[in-house]
Amino acid sequence: MLCENCKERPATVVFKQETSNGVTERHLCDKCAFYSQTFSFSPDQEPLSIQQFLAHWLGGSELFSEQKADERLPDGPKCPNCDLTFHRFLDIGKFGCAECYETFRGQLPRVFAKLHNGHTQHRGKIPVSLNERFALKKKLEDIRTKMREAVENERFEEAATLRDEANQVKEQLSDGGDDQHVI
Amino acid sequence: MGVMINMSFEKFIKQELTGWMVAEGEHADIVLSTRIRLARNLRDHLFPISASQEDANRVSEALNQAVETMQDHHFTGTTMEDLSPLERQILVEKHLVSPQLINPEKHGSVLLSEDEKISIMVNEEDHIRIQCIYPGFQIDQAYEHADRVDSELEVNLNYAFDETFGYLTSCPSNTGTGMRASVMMHLPALTITKQIERIIPAISRLGMVVRGSYGEGSEALGNIYQVSNQITLGKSEEEILKDLESISKRLIAHEKKSRELLLAKSEVHLENRLFRALGTLTHSRILPSAEAAKCLSDVRLGIDLGIIENIDMTVLNELMVFMQPGFLQQYAEAELTSDERDILRAQLFRDRLGIERSSAQE
Repeated sequence: MLCENCKERPATVVFKQETSNGVTERHLCDKCAFYSQTFSFSPDQEPLSIQQFLAHWLGGSELFSEQKADERLPDGPKCPNCDLTFHRFLDIGKFGCAECYETFRGQLPRVFAKLHNGHTQHRGKIPVSLNERFALKKKLEDIRTKMREAVENERFEEAATLRDEANQVKEQLSDGGDDQHVI
Repeated sequence: MGVMINMSFEKFIKQELTGWMVAEGEHADIVLSTRIRLARNLRDHLFPISASQEDANRVSEALNQAVETMQDHHFTGTTMEDLSPLERQILVEKHLVSPQLINPEKHGSVLLSEDEKISIMVNEEDHIRIQCIYPGFQIDQAYEHADRVDSELEVNLNYAFDETFGYLTSCPSNTGTGMRASVMMHLPALTITKQIERIIPAISRLGMVVRGSYGEGSEALGNIYQVSNQITLGKSEEEILKDLESISKRLIAHEKKSRELLLAKSEVHLENRLFRALGTLTHSRILPSAEAAKCLSDVRLGIDLGIIENIDMTVLNELMVFMQPGFLQQYAEAELTSDERDILRAQLFRDRLGIERSSAQE
């Protein structure tokens, strides 16, 4: 019998706990039994293990079978970087690398919606380096809008100035290009 | 001089008192500590779950370099492999590293700040886990500190980040902000009156989780619970922290009200229970950990209500950590069986609380 908590190691201890419904018994391994006796909290304990969650709620359901039909791949898309397949991802409940997100991009909104109360899009902190690129992209868009307006209104001198400005920003963007260490 | 100097790491293990045990901060009578954890990964490396030892070493090396260039923070680090099993256990008992980091099959390491408020776990489930612990109820302070370390680290590291999904983490339940914020609370009155059983499911509907020290069920060891956010995607850090703050405040208010009700309903019965707990802690010769935890909770409640006097809350916090198997064995400088630990634990409580009481009466 496997430990009811980690589901990894064999259960060696019967852990009895008094609850409102009487005494409950749990079969645990030494390690989990040890932690159950300490004040150790892990902020990452899942009330329901993520593996179970994905396997039961998504794994056997339409999400995966749909994918199979689409891709004609028995295990769904496979990450070219770490070789993780979508099927395996649902099994273990973990991504193998950053590239997996790209590989499974099409499937992920539904996975995230289940896990995060319907949310599928990040809102919050953005790394400073990226933030600056965002700002530059936005600036470029603004300049181009103004440039179109200037052309439409036949203010050609202004449009030329704006074009030079836009080129400058474009240069800045390509400078930052691949080197994301630059702030 | 690198950051991996093991000689200086010793003090983190020898010294039993750590920052979060000091009873200070707002609502310190109910809230023991506030913790923020940020999960981050490096773009160009496989996540720890699929990484080889060499990959893990490269990540660890990148982290050491990034930390060395930080201006305002000084960190001391060690790999888990360089520590004995007992030393690793002590770091877990002090909440400085997670139980997962010390898994001997993994290649984890940790970087600790001088005041032990920040620990950067490397090659845990994610490449980087920045943890910040503050005593008492200090959500904003703890987040601000963790955020500062994160922003400083980022200057020299290439984080895995996606415009749609945010910070990319190994587990999809952390994707987005990568943030888990949690508040550790002592809720004896809500437990005694069984209200906690009603509250836990209600809170889970609000995207937050309340759990006891064992992770599920309503009975928590020592009536200590952890409230934390469940959702990391689709809400900003500020929104998550605000939600956590408002739910924690409601729990604090509920707990205070229940304490008053308990007092009003049967003061003598409550007094009896609390003083018996104190008696157990100060006079036992064998003290199993579950019983010690239960009695500690009662004594803590007694102090909060002004029924028990002359005991310093910080001493209780210290005992809570010190009564755990790893610390007891370090104190004894020997491996102890469970029975031997119960005897030593009893002695420890008699000594600490005895000294405390006699010196306070002088």
